This record gives sequence, C-alpha cells and structure tokens, in this order.
Amino acid sequence: MIAQLLLTAMLSAILLYAWRTYRLAPAVGLLAVAAAFAGLYFVWFPAHATALAEFVGIGRGVDLIVYTWVVISLLMLVNLHLKLRAQMEVITALARTIALANAARALSEGAPSAREGPRTLQ
Amino acid sequence: MAASDRIVVVIAAYNEAPVITSVVADIRRASYPAVVVDDGSTDATGEIAARAGAFVVTHPVNLGQGAALQTGLDFALAQGADVIVTFDADGQHRPADIAPLIAALAANKADYALGSRFLGGAVNLPRKRRLMLAAATWFTRLTTGLDLTDTHNGLRAMTRRGASRIRLKQNRMAHASEILHQIAQGGLAYVEVPVTIEYSAYSLGKGQTLSESLAILIDLFARRMHR
Repeated sequence: MIAQLLLTAMLSAILLYAWRTYRLAPAVGLLAVAAAFAGLYFVWFPAHATALAEFVGIGRGVDLIVYTWVVISLLMLVNLHLKLRAQMEVITALARTIALANAARALSEGAPSAREGPRTLQ
Repeated sequence: MAASDRIVVVIAAYNEAPVITSVVADIRRASYPAVVVDDGSTDATGEIAARAGAFVVTHPVNLGQGAALQTGLDFALAQGADVIVTFDADGQHRPADIAPLIAALAANKADYALGSRFLGGAVNLPRKRRLMLAAATWFTRLTTGLDLTDTHNGLRAMTRRGASRIRLKQNRMAHASEILHQIAQGGLAYVEVPVTIEYSAYSLGKGQTLSESLAILIDLFARRMHR
C-alpha cells in the first residue's frame, strides 16, 4: 500500500509535468500523459498489469511497469533536449542583438572598418 | 536588377584566419561590399577581415553558421540592401559566380538564385563527399518538394523580399535545408544557377563529417517534434 501511494504521488507529478510540457511539445506531452495514466492504472491494478504483460509476452506485471518508467524517462530526456534548444534560441537572439548594436555604433562613429560598409554598386 | 541596386555579400566566418583575407579581397576586387559575420572566432578572423576591406559584425560567442548568416541578413537588410549574396568563408566559392546569380534573380523574377555545383562544376570533390551530398539532396528534395540539384550550397543570391521572408532558427549546419524549407513554405520563386566550387585540403577539412550530418538529421527531427 505504501509503495502504491508513493508511486501514485510520483506519477501524478509526471502528469502535472506532462500538462505543462504539452504547450511546448504536444507530442511529448501527450505521450507522457498516456504513459503516466497507464502507470497509475497498473499501480492500483497489478493483476491487470500481469495479465497484460503475459498477453504482450513480458514475464511479470512489475516488469511492464518498469518498462513504462523507462519510456517516461526517455521522453523526459527528449523534452530536456527541446528545452535546451529553446534556451539556445534565446541566447542567439541576445548575442545577435549585441552584435548588431555594436555594428550600428561602429557605423555611426565611422570606425575604421565602417568605411568599408555596404555601398551602392557602380 | 537595376544598376543602382544595393548589393551586399554576406560571409559567415568562424576561425578562418588563414583564408579570409583572400576571400574578402577577391570580393572587394569584384567591387561588392563585403559583410563578414565573425562568429565568435578564437583567432584573428574578424580583425583580418576588416583589414582586407570587409565590414565586420561580431558575435560575442560562437553560435554556428546558420545564426551567423541570419545576423548577416539582418544587418544587410538594415543597411538597405536590395540584393544579398551569401558566400562561404573557406575559399571554395568564386566571386565570378556572383554576377550570374544576381542576373538570374531579375531574369527569372525570382527571390532566390541558388548556386548548384552539379549544374556547374565541382573541382576536386572527393567521392565520399559526393555521395553524402547526393543523399542530402535526395532527402531535401523529398521533404521540401523543391526541384533542386544541389541543396547544400552556401553560394546564393536573394532579393530583399526573399531575405526578409526567411528566419533561420537552426544555428548549426542544418540551416541549408532550413532555408529551402522556408522557400518552399513561403512559395518563394527560386532558380538554380550553375556555379563552380573548388575544394582544397583546407575547405575539405572544414566541411561536414558524417557524424555532423547525423547531428543535423537529429536536429531536423527534433524540430519537427518541437512544432
């Protein structure tokens, strides 16, 4: 019973996380929701897990739950990758703004390199 | 193109100190203004490029070629460029190919004139690299629906309209196919123009390896999931 409650709390946390993720990466969010719900169901109905596990060719219901957990972890990994990408986009925007601001200042101050700036051909 | 059109050549450069002088000098000799985006180089690329006659825009940190190109496009647009040419920093492109690219824009009423080494020439192109490019071209044709012979060529000309219609988000090398995706999505008119690419030991050393190509594929895949 204690284990079931603990697992329920953890899977509920995953559900909340998936809900938040849904906006950023719908595919990841939906899969995580499905996996978490499946996990919750089997935590409370282990017999069903065993039945399903036997049906798909896995030895025990516990193994099935462990596999589900692995899948959730992998999905979170993918999501982390996406978040890092989003962060990189922010850094890029920041660096670009700095680069363009410095270039504009060099142009207006007539810095040495600015004299070679764009000009009309012919 | 009208004779009064403002043409700007954008060069994204990261640690290209050994070759950037000749690349910039050749472009200046052809009387085009050159904008070098120094992508946070750890060598003297920016300084050398400025001395060779380029206007240099400097990324404070290294972001990748795609990001550098987008910065260059932003800068050129802000300077009122009518036509923007993208040119590789490693010396494998020929400035003589720029004029035909620009002419093709007007002649075909296109927003993009894309250089093709397979319509033109590829000097010293190793067999392995040719196969990799063929695979990349096949993949990009399949995913964009564009009828192209060379999808990973950094030499291209675009109109102001064309440049302002794209927004590169792939910082690293995947931007080549990203540009094509956005051309396809935006329904922008394009034309392929034969160009010659001369491979040297230097430019080959700089080029993409198989593992980088794999990273590009993963990146493109992740982008699909992201949307």
